[in-house]
Amino acid sequence: MDLQEASNKDLWKDIYKTGDLHFCFNCSTCVSGCPASHGDPPLLVRNLARLVILGLEEELLQEDTPWACVSCSKCEEMCPMDVKPFEMILAIRQWQSANDETRVPQAIVEIYKRGYTQAVGVNKELRESLGLPPLKTLTENIEQLELFREMLMKTKVVSENDYMFGE
Amino acid sequence: MQLCLFLGCNTPAIRPDVERAIRATMPVLGIDLVDADNYVCCPAFGSFPSADEEAWLATSGWNLSIAEEKGCDFVVQCGSCYSSLRMGREHLMHNAAMMNRVNELLDPTGRKVTGKSGVRHVSEVLYREVGPEKIASHLKKSLEGLHGIVQYPCHTLFPSEVVGFEDSARAPKGLRVLTEALGASVDGYSRELQCCGGAGGFMKSTPEQAIEFAQSKFDAILEETQADFIAVSCITCLMFMENVQNTINKKIGEERYKIPVFDYNQLLALCLGFDPKEVSSICNVPRDSVIDRLVPVHPA
Ligand code: SF4
Ligand code: SF4
Repeated sequence: MDLQEASNKDLWKDIYKTGDLHFCFNCSTCVSGCPASHGDPPLLVRNLARLVILGLEEELLQEDTPWACVSCSKCEEMCPMDVKPFEMILAIRQWQSANDETRVPQAIVEIYKRGYTQAVGVNKELRESLGLPPLKTLTENIEQLELFREMLMKTKVVSENDYMFGE
Repeated sequence: MQLCLFLGCNTPAIRPDVERAIRATMPVLGIDLVDADNYVCCPAFGSFPSADEEAWLATSGWNLSIAEEKGCDFVVQCGSCYSSLRMGREHLMHNAAMMNRVNELLDPTGRKVTGKSGVRHVSEVLYREVGPEKIASHLKKSLEGLHGIVQYPCHTLFPSEVVGFEDSARAPKGLRVLTEALGASVDGYSRELQCCGGAGGFMKSTPEQAIEFAQSKFDAILEETQADFIAVSCITCLMFMENVQNTINKKIGEERYKIPVFDYNQLLALCLGFDPKEVSSICNVPRDSVIDRLVPVHPA
């Protein structure tokens, strides 16, 4: 591959603006403790850092592995150069979502619609049988839910993909 | 002391008996809980934090403003909620421009975030604030004669700079000390700090490997410990460590893995004398082998 031709030298500025990424010295500590490095294909954090630094946009856009991360943050703890690899994973996902709408996580639609990723507060009988009080959820507070939605509608991912958030 | 209870999504929706255990036990130990009315998803790392920084932090800000209004810190059980709220707060505190932008977004909703309320994990509150002696002095029943292993939620260990409360994230002690305070023997084993693997997309994207990864942990538990139960303090660890045992059993065609898993506050609630039907009834791996062996404690 011709790196000169295929690369966008400023890619790291789009994705992960903290200069820390440039301290990455390829040691692979982030990979060795990573649960998702056992996957197939494996999540190789170090390789993702390379793709960002080398500016290989096309390759990075195709990468599914950032989404296998379990968010344990072990890489963040162990990285000797304080690159904050987990934050980099989130930044790569954000960049992918911004450049490919099929990457936008469905979970944000659920949160927009009812405030939660699960149907919180609907198990009223079960709650009562356990001696629990009713929950004051956002889902049932239409006024607050509307305010929450209006707030989100002003953010980029929601306004640019507003068709996803209809009734 | 008063804390604002942040329940997250999974606990109230799927495991409300854990919520019951938390609400029952904390006041007995001097921690009064107030509800976080109109809270929203933490936000989960796979949602806004994976899509848009501004939407992520506005959602964090919405939640944090609730504790600020109550004038106290949050207390959280779910590892992801804890870590997401801590990280969100950290980002806001270190980025004045983002803090301003988030407050601009919050303003029409009548909310405001300053960062004055912190976010605490329930196991930290029990370990640091309440302490094992106080817990032991309140017991009506004990786990004497039982062996347990503990699963530290990764989200309470790493990155220690942002979420940590242990003296060393490489050698955590909190859950062990808390479980021993209930009278149990806690066995160590080689894979104690191995992530359960249940959060995020690992299990969704490559289930076969995720199951193998979990099985390596359970094999170590069976080979190296006499565990009668597993104590966790995270809703994802709880649900995943139960469900994956059943998944592996189905795969190998044999009931090899059947260690009951409890949230720590459930064990605590049982030992404080609360009704198992209320605080510990929802599970996918039967718990009778532990609940039937609780030993009454006679005041000295
Ligand atoms: S641990 Fe840090 S320095 Fe080492 S390869 Fe990973 S990101 Fe780079
Ligand atoms: S946070 Fe994600 S990338 Fe880092 S070690 Fe955990 S699973 Fe791997």
